[in-house]
Amino acid sequence: MNLTPTQLEGGNLELRTQLSNLQGLLVLAMLMTESGDEEQVLRLATSSVGGLARCRPEGVYLTDRGWRWTAGSFRWEPDRRAVEEQLPGLGSLGGAVEVPGRPCGWAYPLRSLAGGVGFLIVSAEEASSPAEQFLLRVMAQQAGMALANARLHAQERATAEELVKVNSTLGATVQALRRSMEIHERLTKVAMSGEGQEGIARAVHELTGHPVAVEDRHGNLRAWAGPDRPDPYPKHGTARSEELLRRVLASGRPIRDGGRLLAVAQPRGDVLGVLVLIDPDGTAGEHELVALEHGATVLAMELARLRSLAETELRLRRDLVEDLLAGTDQESALARAQALGYDLERVHRVVVVEGQGRGDGGADRLFHAVRRAAGRTGAGSLLVSRTGTVVLLANQDLDWERLRGAVLHELGGGRVRIGVGGGCGRVGDFPRSYREAQTALRVQAGSHGTDRVTVFDELGVYRLLSRLENTAEVERFVRDWLGTLLDYDARKQSELVRTLSVYLERGGNYNATAQALVVHRSTLKYRLQRIRELSGHDLNDPDSRFNLQLATRAWATLRALRS
Amino acid sequence: MPATVDLGISDLDVRTGDHICAFYRGAERDAMLVAFLAAGLRTGDKCICVLDAARPESLLALLDDPQAQERVERRQLEFVDFADAHGAGGRFEPEKMVEFWEHNVHSALEGGEYRFFRAAGEMTWALRDMPGLDQLAAFESEVNRLMPRYPQVYLCVYDIERFSGEQILDVLKTHPKVLLGAMVFDNPYYVEPDEFLARRQ
Repeated sequence: MNLTPTQLEGGNLELRTQLSNLQGLLVLAMLMTESGDEEQVLRLATSSVGGLARCRPEGVYLTDRGWRWTAGSFRWEPDRRAVEEQLPGLGSLGGAVEVPGRPCGWAYPLRSLAGGVGFLIVSAEEASSPAEQFLLRVMAQQAGMALANARLHAQERATAEELVKVNSTLGATVQALRRSMEIHERLTKVAMSGEGQEGIARAVHELTGHPVAVEDRHGNLRAWAGPDRPDPYPKHGTARSEELLRRVLASGRPIRDGGRLLAVAQPRGDVLGVLVLIDPDGTAGEHELVALEHGATVLAMELARLRSLAETELRLRRDLVEDLLAGTDQESALARAQALGYDLERVHRVVVVEGQGRGDGGADRLFHAVRRAAGRTGAGSLLVSRTGTVVLLANQDLDWERLRGAVLHELGGGRVRIGVGGGCGRVGDFPRSYREAQTALRVQAGSHGTDRVTVFDELGVYRLLSRLENTAEVERFVRDWLGTLLDYDARKQSELVRTLSVYLERGGNYNATAQALVVHRSTLKYRLQRIRELSGHDLNDPDSRFNLQLATRAWATLRALRS
Repeated sequence: MPATVDLGISDLDVRTGDHICAFYRGAERDAMLVAFLAAGLRTGDKCICVLDAARPESLLALLDDPQAQERVERRQLEFVDFADAHGAGGRFEPEKMVEFWEHNVHSALEGGEYRFFRAAGEMTWALRDMPGLDQLAAFESEVNRLMPRYPQVYLCVYDIERFSGEQILDVLKTHPKVLLGAMVFDNPYYVEPDEFLARRQ
C-alpha cells in the first residue's frame, strides 16, 4: 500500500474503497486479536462480512467444536449437514460450496499458525468480485489467528486460575498446618512442664477462646479454664454418661452434646477422662476441633501417667505389707516405707477384716471398703487382700468398732468381723501381730457369737493359751474334761461341746443360751441333761464348772490355732 | 490557533481539527474520556461531553481535580445527555446533532473566553432502537465538514463489545484518525464527507 491519497486523486474510486476497507480490516484484525475472547472474535468476524462484500454470513464451523455460529437456514440441521459434508473436500484453502437456497456460497478457511481452525461460510446473490473475496479471505484468516490467540489466552487464564486455586488451597493447608503446629507446640509445652489437668484445660482455652472443662469418666469436674464456671457443676446420670462415652468412642472424633463438644482421653482403650469445650453458640470450627483432639491426647498421656504412678505406689505398698507380714529386715522395710513417705516407726497393729457386702463385689469390694473406711477413721493406708480377708496395718489404736462400722457403711450393709493383733514396736513384730489377729478372728468365729471386733490383747485366757509353745498338755486337759462329749459329737454329728461352751460363756443363763444357739429352751434342757449324763460332771459344781469352761476355751483356742 | 494539541491519552498529540474515533472495552471508557477532558481543562479549553450510559458524577470523581465542580458551575466543562443534545424520542436526524455541535462550538469561541473547543461523545446511543440510526455514518461524515471551521478536536468513543463489525468498518471509513491502544493511526483512505454521502445515496 504505497499509494497516497494524492496519487489517488481523481483516481479509481473502487481502489480507494478497497484500500479504505483494507485499513478498516487491519483495525478490525487488531480488535479481534486484542479481544482474547472467542465469542467476541466470532461476533466481529461475522458482523463485518456485510461491510466488506455484498455477501451475508451463514455460519462458522470449527474443526474441533462443530458449528459455533449460524444464521438464516443454517439454524436447521439438514442445511448445515449439506455444507459440512462438502468441507473435508475443500482442503486448507477453502473454496466455493453449495449453500441450500442460495445462488453462490464460499467457505473461507479460518487459519492459525498451527493450521486450519475451521471455516467461515458466506453466501451471496451473485459471485463476489476478486477484491471482495480477497477481503473476506484476509478477514477469515485474521479471525482464525484471533481465535487461536483467544484459545491460548483462555488456556493461560484457566492455568492462571488453576494456579490461584492451587495457591489458595496450598495457603489454606499451610495456614492449617501452622495452626496445628501452634496447637501441638503449646500442648507439648504443657505436657513437658507438668502443669497437669489444669494446665491442659488452660492451654485449650487459650487456643480456642472457649471455656474448657476436664471431667473424669463419671462426669465429675477435675479442672476448669475460662469464664462462667458453673457452680455446682452439672452432672449427668450414670446411664447418660455411659451412653455419651459410647457415642464418642464409636465416632472416633469429638462429638457435640448440646452446647458442649466432648473428646475422650483414652490411653490404650481405657477411658480415663473427658475434655469438654463449652460452645453454646455452635461457633467452634475445625481449628477448635483440632485443639480439642490434641488436648484430649495430652490429657490421655497425663491421666495415664497419674494412673501409672498410683498403680506403682499401690504395688510398692502392697509389696511392703506382704513382706512385713511374712517377716523382713528392719533396715530394708524402713527405707521402702520412707520412699513411700510412710512412717513405719510408729506402733502398729495388724488388723484382719473379714466380711461380705450385700450383693456382688467380692474381694475387690471388701478391699476398697476397708481402704476408704481406714482413710476416714485415720486407721492407716497400708493394706493388702489375703485369702478372703483384708489385712490392714493400723498405725494407731482407735475405736475398732468404729472402724468396723465404717467398713459396713462402705459395703452398704452385710457382715464384717475384725481381728486385731498385738502392738508392733519393731518391723520384726508384724508376723506375730498378724498371727494374733488371725487367732482373734478365729476364736470369735468359734464362739458363735455375733459379728464384732476381737482384740487379741483382750482375749484373756485365750491369749495365754495361744502363746503356749507346747499344746500337748492343753490337749490332754481338753480330752480329760470334754473327751466323751467330743467323741459323742463326732459320732452323732451333734453340738454338745458347742452347747456347753455357749451355756458357760453366758453364765448358765438358759434364755441367753437358747437365743444364741437359736434352739428352743426345752431342746437346750435336753442337751444339758445329755451332757451331764455323758460326761458325769455336775454343772452346778464351781470347780467342775471352772474346769469345763477352761476346757471349752482351750478347745476353741486349739481349733483356732489349727485352722 | 495551535497546530497540535495534547490528546491527554498516552502522551499523544493530535492536530487541530482532528476527528478521532476510539474503541474501548468496559471500564476503559471512563478512563479514556476523563484523560481527554482533563488535558483540555488544563489548557483552558471549553469541554463538552455527550453521555449515554456513563455517569457525570463518576467522571467528575475520576477527574481528581479540586476545581472540577467550579469548572462545571462556570460551564467550562459540560456533561450533556444524548437526549438533551438531540432531543428525546422520534427519529434520529444527523442535522440536529450537527446543529448541536455547531451551536456549542460557536457559542464557546465567539465571546473570546475560550480559544479552543474540545468535544467527546459516548456513542452507545447509536445502538438504540431508534429509526434513522442507519444515518450514523452520515452524521460522522457531516462532522468532518464542521471540523476545519473552528479550532477544535473531537473524540468519539465506541464500545467494541457492542458495535458490529460492519458498524465499525463504517466508523473507520468516516474518521480520519483512529485511536487504537496507545497509538493514533492516520486513515489516508478515509472517505470524504461528500463522497461518503454520495455513495450512500
